[in-house]
Amino acid sequence: MANRITRRKFLISSGLAGIALKSPVLFASTPGASSSSPIMRRIPGTDESIPAIGMGTWITFNVGGDTQLVQQRTRVLKTFFDLGGTVVDGSPMYGSAADVMGEALNSLNAHDRIFAATKIWTGDESETRQEAARSSRRWGVERLDLLQVHNLLGWQGHLETLKEMKANGEVRYIGITTSHGRRHREFAQIMEREPLDFVQLTYNVLDREVEDRLLPLARERGIGVIVNRPFQGGSLFRRFQSEPLPDWAGDVGVSNWAEFFLKYIISHPAVTCAIPATSKVEHMKENMGALYGRLPDAAQRKQMADYVRSL
Amino acid sequence: MSGADWLSYSLQDFVMFGPQVFLRLFVRINQDLWPWQLLAVVAAFGIPALFLSQGERARRLAVGLMALAWATSGYGFLVGYFGPINWPATWFGWAFVAQGALLAVAALSGRVPGSRLPVGKFAVLWLLAVSGLPWLAMADSGQWEAVALFGIAPGTTAAAGALVVALIPGPWRWFYLPLLVLWSLFCAAISWVLQTWWLLVTPIATLLLAGAGLWLSPRPARSPD
Repeated sequence: MANRITRRKFLISSGLAGIALKSPVLFASTPGASSSSPIMRRIPGTDESIPAIGMGTWITFNVGGDTQLVQQRTRVLKTFFDLGGTVVDGSPMYGSAADVMGEALNSLNAHDRIFAATKIWTGDESETRQEAARSSRRWGVERLDLLQVHNLLGWQGHLETLKEMKANGEVRYIGITTSHGRRHREFAQIMEREPLDFVQLTYNVLDREVEDRLLPLARERGIGVIVNRPFQGGSLFRRFQSEPLPDWAGDVGVSNWAEFFLKYIISHPAVTCAIPATSKVEHMKENMGALYGRLPDAAQRKQMADYVRSL
Repeated sequence: MSGADWLSYSLQDFVMFGPQVFLRLFVRINQDLWPWQLLAVVAAFGIPALFLSQGERARRLAVGLMALAWATSGYGFLVGYFGPINWPATWFGWAFVAQGALLAVAALSGRVPGSRLPVGKFAVLWLLAVSGLPWLAMADSGQWEAVALFGIAPGTTAAAGALVVALIPGPWRWFYLPLLVLWSLFCAAISWVLQTWWLLVTPIATLLLAGAGLWLSPRPARSPD
């Protein structure tokens, strides 16, 4: 029998779920991990851990000077922080998103709660430092935690400068990004020879090409992995939201589709963090539900992928 | 990036904002301008009246108002409101200002639609544009404050303006038409990605009105021999 808890039904019970999350007793979990504590992932080669669910800002935080929407996005960010999130990812490419994030951080006075990850997005390889400084000003943070070369644009020059910046303590971590499965061959070559802290790539229950090469390579090389497009730009919901969750969903710690998609991703041993984006507080609560409770094991992950394929 | 990389991008990848944010641009500019947009309404209905009056000075004034509408909608809406969430909109905004400047030159130099203009047909098409197109943003957003007025909203301004610039006599009209075509493609792409289907009518209307303007444009008088 299928478990028919949908995204909508989950919203109705989200208040109860919030209370339940406060009570470890209510949640049986995988051995050695409490359901009331967030799922953390160690950044390879360091002693630092970050929550396995972060947030992206593509489209969702690009609201310009719309005061009403800036306030609404601030509530989304507050919910994210309140539910244990820290990693926020942006890019200069995302229009006004960096300015909106800066305003939201100011409103919440939350500069010390964020792991600020953004990108270098310019074809001019001599502009790395200037663009990082601009991002830092827009976000209103003294130092960005992670700088990534966006979609490998001008990566040779930018990466050299980023390495210098890291050595000088101007940024804590450096990396490269790709999305939509682009340039994976070149991406792998860079991973093989450059001292990267993070890579960011597209991975979800349907887009699994990275399981073959990039994710194993990241583990082998000790590189953290940030996963973008975990919901395939929202299309996973459009395709599957009307479908029932499998009746074994509870066994893998899942009570709605957002958790299903996200837990599939973060249960991969190479993945450090997934960064779903949303403009709604209710959806943020659903996303952050994936930061708690048990995770599927390898056999259950296969079961999850098979189930989605069967729909 | 290689050509294959570019091909891997979809139209969606270049639209960095959602429909809610886009449609609220109309609401915001109307709220911020109130009640000054009433002047734009007066101009929208005054322009055909000026053409109907047949005097050259009145027709120059009509084209001058048209020039002002291009500039205000370009600088106000596109540069001021749309640009912060979509950088190509800023380029279009300045192109609208340039278009307004070109039309102002046309008004000052007398290169305006002549007295042989079929003003009745012109007025009907014009009034259809300025009174019909403003409601499309409302239909998509469900908010009456989203009304897209001539002189404020660039889509309505360009659609109605297409009719006038196509009527500019001589080869000068061809200076104005490329922006209309590019703008229409840009609007259509955005409406398509955002699925704001009603607003998709505006770029189609722009091209149709440009065609109508060319059709209405009086032919040069034939030489007696």
